[in-house]
Amino acid sequence: MVSFIARRLIVSVLLLLGAAFIMYQLTALSGDPLEEYYQSRLPNREQLMAARIERLQLNVPPPLRFFLWLGGAAKCVVPFIGACDLGQTAQGQPVLQLLPQAMNATLQLVTASTVLAIVVGLIVGIVSALRQYTTFDFVMTFISFLLFSLPSFWVGILLKEFIAIGFNDFLSDPIVSPLWIVIISLASGLIWLGLIGGDLRRRLMVFVISGAATAAVLTYFSVSDWFTHPSLGPVFMLLMAAGIGWVLTALMAGIKNRRALLTAGIQVAIAYVCYFALQGLLNISSIYTLLILGLITIAVAWLTGYLVGGPDRGVNIRVGIFTALLSAGLILIDRLMQAWPTYSNLSAINGRPIATVGSQTPGLVGDIWVQGVDSFTHLLLPTLTLMLISFAGLTRYARAGMLDVLSQDYIRTARAKGMPERVVIVRHAFRNSLIPIATIVASDFGALLGGAIITEQVFAFSGMGAMFQRGLTLPDPNPVMGYFVVIAISAIVFNFIADMTYSALDPRVRVRA
Amino acid sequence: MKFQRIVAPVSVAAVAAMLITGCTTTGDQPAAQTGGTVTVAEVNELTAFTSSTSASNLDMNGKFMGYTRSSFFYLDNKLNLIPDKSFGTVEKTSDDPLTVKYTLAKTATWSDGTPITADDMLLAWAAFSGFFNDASYDDDGNVTGGTAYFDYAGDTSGLALADRPVVGDDNMSITLTYSEPYADWSLINPIDAPIHVVADHAGVSQADLVNAIMTMPRGDAAAPAPVNDVLKKAADFWNTGFDATSLPTDKSLYLSSAAFVLDAWVPKESITLVRNKEYKGSLVPKIDKIVVRFIGDAQAQVTALKNGEVDIINPQASADTIKSLEAIKGVTTLTGDQFSYDHLDLTFNTGVFQNAPDLREAFLKTIPRQQILDAIVTPMNPNAEIYDSQLFFPGTDGYAETIKSNGASAFDKVDIDGAMAILNGRTPEVRILYNTKNPNRVAAFQAIQASAEQAGFKIIDAGAENWGSLLGSGTYDATIFGWISSGVGVGGVPQIFGSTGGGNYNGYSNAEVDSLANKLQTTLDKKAQDDIQVQIDKLLWSDFYGVPLFVAPGVMAHSNSVTGVVYYPGQAGVGWNFWEWAKK
Amino acid sequence: MSLEPEINTKVSASGDVAPLTEGMSQGRLIWKRFLRNKVAMGSLVIFLAIVVLSLSASGVFGMQGWWKWKYNELVPLENGGAPTLSLIPEWLGGDGIHLGNHPFGQTLIGIDYFAMTMRGVQNSLIVMFIIGILSAVIGTVIGAIAGYYRGWVESALMRFTDLVIVIPVIVLGAVVGKIASEHFKGLGVIGLSIVLGLFLWTGLARLVRGEFLTLREREYVDAARVSGARDARIIFRHILPNAVGVVIVSTTLLMAAAILLETGLSFLGFGIRPPDVSLGLIISQNQNAFSTRPYLFIWPGVFIVAIALTVNFIGDGVRDAFDPRQSRFVARKMKEPADS
Repeated sequence: MVSFIARRLIVSVLLLLGAAFIMYQLTALSGDPLEEYYQSRLPNREQLMAARIERLQLNVPPPLRFFLWLGGAAKCVVPFIGACDLGQTAQGQPVLQLLPQAMNATLQLVTASTVLAIVVGLIVGIVSALRQYTTFDFVMTFISFLLFSLPSFWVGILLKEFIAIGFNDFLSDPIVSPLWIVIISLASGLIWLGLIGGDLRRRLMVFVISGAATAAVLTYFSVSDWFTHPSLGPVFMLLMAAGIGWVLTALMAGIKNRRALLTAGIQVAIAYVCYFALQGLLNISSIYTLLILGLITIAVAWLTGYLVGGPDRGVNIRVGIFTALLSAGLILIDRLMQAWPTYSNLSAINGRPIATVGSQTPGLVGDIWVQGVDSFTHLLLPTLTLMLISFAGLTRYARAGMLDVLSQDYIRTARAKGMPERVVIVRHAFRNSLIPIATIVASDFGALLGGAIITEQVFAFSGMGAMFQRGLTLPDPNPVMGYFVVIAISAIVFNFIADMTYSALDPRVRVRA
Repeated sequence: MKFQRIVAPVSVAAVAAMLITGCTTTGDQPAAQTGGTVTVAEVNELTAFTSSTSASNLDMNGKFMGYTRSSFFYLDNKLNLIPDKSFGTVEKTSDDPLTVKYTLAKTATWSDGTPITADDMLLAWAAFSGFFNDASYDDDGNVTGGTAYFDYAGDTSGLALADRPVVGDDNMSITLTYSEPYADWSLINPIDAPIHVVADHAGVSQADLVNAIMTMPRGDAAAPAPVNDVLKKAADFWNTGFDATSLPTDKSLYLSSAAFVLDAWVPKESITLVRNKEYKGSLVPKIDKIVVRFIGDAQAQVTALKNGEVDIINPQASADTIKSLEAIKGVTTLTGDQFSYDHLDLTFNTGVFQNAPDLREAFLKTIPRQQILDAIVTPMNPNAEIYDSQLFFPGTDGYAETIKSNGASAFDKVDIDGAMAILNGRTPEVRILYNTKNPNRVAAFQAIQASAEQAGFKIIDAGAENWGSLLGSGTYDATIFGWISSGVGVGGVPQIFGSTGGGNYNGYSNAEVDSLANKLQTTLDKKAQDDIQVQIDKLLWSDFYGVPLFVAPGVMAHSNSVTGVVYYPGQAGVGWNFWEWAKK
Repeated sequence: MSLEPEINTKVSASGDVAPLTEGMSQGRLIWKRFLRNKVAMGSLVIFLAIVVLSLSASGVFGMQGWWKWKYNELVPLENGGAPTLSLIPEWLGGDGIHLGNHPFGQTLIGIDYFAMTMRGVQNSLIVMFIIGILSAVIGTVIGAIAGYYRGWVESALMRFTDLVIVIPVIVLGAVVGKIASEHFKGLGVIGLSIVLGLFLWTGLARLVRGEFLTLREREYVDAARVSGARDARIIFRHILPNAVGVVIVSTTLLMAAAILLETGLSFLGFGIRPPDVSLGLIISQNQNAFSTRPYLFIWPGVFIVAIALTVNFIGDGVRDAFDPRQSRFVARKMKEPADS
């Protein structure tokens, strides 16, 4: 194993060096960095040209210049001497200082959309597989292919126009017209109908109930000014927490497992009490307070699960912890919603909360909830845009993987020996279908980092992508190389992780030691 | 029993956690109060708290200096020099020799409370004049001997004509005496970084630094002097010390002498400027805060303005940008000219136009200038007119005068018959170089090609992506490209039209123009300068130098909640009159 | 010697499918399966319609197209450049179904937008096919050689592939696209797509190599080798035909990705350069017109989505046709006896 990793490491370093050389040459060849000065009529043009030649070492031919760059970059690998040098941009800024800022912005974006894409993609993919060849499956297949085919900048611009500007305009007079209530209710009825399935009578019932519920909720929202003063409220809070407890128990333990259900119930009750009791503390919380509260939540859930006892405490504890965390999440969401009117009425926001540029409102003053809402309103659209890239792919792979597993002999065996369908799906099929997904997710991360170049430009998000694009436009090899080093290393690392995960999850695959 | 064993540690842990929780709370935040904030979108980010070094000579740094540094004068939107007497006065005390006295106002103060004195002006002079540099360079620009002290981005040749300044008025004034007249003397603004900050960071005392500036002899590349340590340390800090990628903890790096001072910098996103409490000058703003957000994409700027996230934008002009801005409710769109123009130049030292004024004339007669204008500029600016001067921008004093006499109007209309008459059956080949990446240049080329071929010219497409490095290579007979100018001063004229000018790519050489251009450099009076330029303009047209095509249009837009925003054609950008902005 | 016997055994295991496959070559079998895939067939029809429309409208190989304007021709603005396309018949109170002079409107300087869109579609298609074919050829050759010969040849080729794979496609595309426009500008679209194609074969090479590694161990390959066939013959006659499914499937999917890559690059300013047009470029040029003249923004987008979507569905259909296990048609047939 050790020798495998060592060999892998050496090969990776060589690969990185080779790719870096290619990248450097290509960038240096891709244009003339002095071009902007040729048409300058300013008296100081000669000085500026000379200074740029000097700073970018343009009189050294690119192959040699690469080694000058490499000499500086190599110092980054030597620990403790702190002489790391990735060169300067044409504007004289050290690339090493720019990188962390840029990485920060891009990672925020990419992480959020990766998590979202995985969660939504897996759910949709697996449900599609379980409902193979139903209308839902066809519609989802079509939608995922459609998303696959959309240019992300096109989507980004549409989202800005319709979601940001449209929704903000809507907020100035937040009344949903009856026509829209009807349309949305019909759509929601159709979606639930497709999701749940069953015979004609059951489908009709699902359609009517979900449609009516949607219409009722929308009307309530519209009448009660919910869009400008959102909150979950005591009733929704209780319903949703109870629903979470019920669904998680059903999925993870089976509803017949009374002890697990009891654990979940206790968590829901505690969460509901906390919803009222903790408001005062939440008002003055910092991010660390929330972290500690999270730890307490886990501890309490663990304890409850343990104390409820029964033959399989592990299941109780798992159900308990997940229920508790998700219910706690509801409380946080509700608290964020409470901050919404405060945020929206700030003079810097001026009643137009959904943002189209940047990652935060400059000079915003407010508690963590207002800051949280600010991050949300800024990250929402770029995250959605970026998510579309990987969501479609993940759905397809999750569906295919699940179908593949479902046709395996051991699934038939499990069914044949009378195991409940829940156990077959969750324990046998789902886990094994995750194996290929792990690889996809890892290699997708690289694609997302690349896709961020476009998203960043559309949403004026100055991350790695912007750095790369600006560098290449001039062309200015140093920032491009800074970008490349980060991207290439993360690609190599994630591929490595993927291989490792693969061999860890699938005993059939063993690394050649 | 077992139950208790478990509960005890867990509850202890829980109580401890609760205590820590209590310690991490923040208490009530003060309610956000932001009254009178104006948010401006800019394309590029700030990279330094100076714009004088060659690395920091970028548009956003210059704009930042506009918000945070007072000057002896500023340029208004008509390019007039407006003195700021509340900062200091400039006085020409003698014409021969040219002597200029700069006196600071008593109220001029840095934002840390230190008064601004002649010491600060001496530092600026030392940097701007290149007085002490004695470095010599090889062909690649490497220093081969001597020392280069200040890495100043500007042209040092003007100030180098002056001798060391004389300090007076209780260390509040300096007087510069020039060895020969210098035309652009009025554009010299001898104030830059605070000398006490430079001295502190360089590890020298301010007195020593002033002493070095006042005593060290003028540098001579032929006989380099030993390095002066004090000056070298100060210069080294001046060259790079003000570069930044985020807000430094050391506030002295971004001292202000104007109405605003930097308060916050979110790297890559925005900077926030707040009122400078030490500012006692007269350009007092009406607003409390300026936020500058960095938004590179023009479309993103427009959407941000539409969504109320920014109040003022300054995007790259395009017909659609202007149209969509005009369609937004509650937004005012300002359009105007920029200080840059596209032009067609003929090559004089090689090729078909060498020593062939008749061919040059015939070719210029075929240039469809109105058609090019209609295709490129009219959609953005319906009132655009053909640009008829090589030297003056439309709207300036000299422009109206020069077009009366320079003979440019002869080429306003396409005259195919006239061109054919001159060609008299000849079919000369003309290679035209242009930037194939720029759609405007491509459109201009296509129009010229179609028109010139009617008259019998054979047009060869010599367009290239790397057009810039081909300039002056003699591989073309005509070229279409743009000039970007500061709009003020006459220092650029010999650069472009002088026989040996660095920007003279087309080998143009006319002894009369050369001598006029040199005379221009030593003419002090604005009216006399204009007269000389009118004469040069006329010579250029009668030599069939080429034709200007159009002045590039620019656009700015602001939300109607902000008043006082005025279009500005120059590099200072939309913030040139920030003290007149007000928020409704 | 092909996969035929295997398929027969596989399919006949399900009982009633065997007669269907009787007497058919593998190619016909796959074709038949593809024909029965309604979505893929529908997509193919739409895709071909788009190809014919764009090629015939703007002309190809120097031939004049039927559309009256050219993509770089300035026409005086008609009605402010508003689109003249009308799809509402007169009896419904509309203007009747007609194209008019400028169905998609005109740009501000008066270029006909339908002509531009068609030229853009054409360029996108050129990019797509060149990248597809080039990647397929290079990827197959490299993958085949690596997979067949193994040893140091494989190591060398695969390490080279890894080298290129390290750089994300769009990053590579941006750099390479900029070089193409800087140094191969005479070639225009074709130059851009050739250079892009030279770098996009890596995924395919890996797949083909994997396929070859499995196939070369098969008995029939051994048999061929024993009977004295040369390497080239084994590769091209025996192994490649069995790996062709993988090649075709991933090439179609690559082509769909290539269209989006080109539009993305043009949007960033590293792809096709004016005065030539591509769909990505005209969207990017007209994004400012979104609120005032949305047709300038929407139409090219619709065509990109239509092309990418149909090509994706065709690719999916091809995959199903080549892989009987995942095919809907076979699956249904197999399901029926199981259900009854």
